[in-house]
Amino acid sequence: MSAPIPKSDETQLVQRSQAGDRLAFEELVRRHADRLYAVVLRFVADADEAEEVTQEAFLRAWRSIDRFEFRSRFFTWLYRIGINEAKRRAERRPPPGMVASIEDAPIEDAPDWSEVPEFRAQQAHLRRVLEDAVRALPIEYRAPLILRDVEGLSTQEAAEVMELREAAFKSRLHRARLAVRRAVDRYYLEGER
Amino acid sequence: MIRRLLERRRYMREHRWTHAHLSEYLNEDLSADERERVEDHVSICPHCRRVLRTLRRTVESLVDLRAEGRPGLAEGVIERLRRGY
Repeated sequence: MSAPIPKSDETQLVQRSQAGDRLAFEELVRRHADRLYAVVLRFVADADEAEEVTQEAFLRAWRSIDRFEFRSRFFTWLYRIGINEAKRRAERRPPPGMVASIEDAPIEDAPDWSEVPEFRAQQAHLRRVLEDAVRALPIEYRAPLILRDVEGLSTQEAAEVMELREAAFKSRLHRARLAVRRAVDRYYLEGER
Repeated sequence: MIRRLLERRRYMREHRWTHAHLSEYLNEDLSADERERVEDHVSICPHCRRVLRTLRRTVESLVDLRAEGRPGLAEGVIERLRRGY
């Protein structure tokens, strides 16, 4: 994980950008482009679209930077722009065949796989199970999980990105985690049969 | 008989409450009393114990899904911005 960006330094860059300093804004792009791309990648069809959304998000951010009021960290505002842009594109795509629903009830007869020694997402098959389970979540549940558990934002920061109260955010995060956990249950249960 | 019914009702109430708060427990977002409430129930409920263990493992693994950036991405964004300034 990259080192946290000093808040004061970032504040200066945003203030200079608001005054029209393009080089300051370009420095913000250098600092945040990769993480923003990684976030939006989870909401779009492929890497090319994620790059387009990242570009679009920075264009929108530049055009509206004077409206940024320092009520949150710059990157939470930027992530919100990126996720909203990705959602807009997702809505334009034809709906998937399956209705997106969230199943989080535990599977009663699934084994306890918590002690399986080789359980790590790096293993290709388990990684695939996790990736598919995350992608199957409706966006309003996927986003909290991506921001909090994959990208490592704090609950407060991630709730800010989503413009949700913390209680509502935590509830969605919990349901999303349970749904992903359930997918792993299913994977191990099928493996036993 | 009535005592058993009341105990069962209390167990189910704790079961529902614990199940709804497992993520907050893992995130250390609960007060000391609430943590104790989860731990008390988990100690007697094999179902919640399994869900807690596997949920912890799931959350620990999700960080491995972090994607890398794309080479040249930031410079590409800057180039596009410069065309539109």
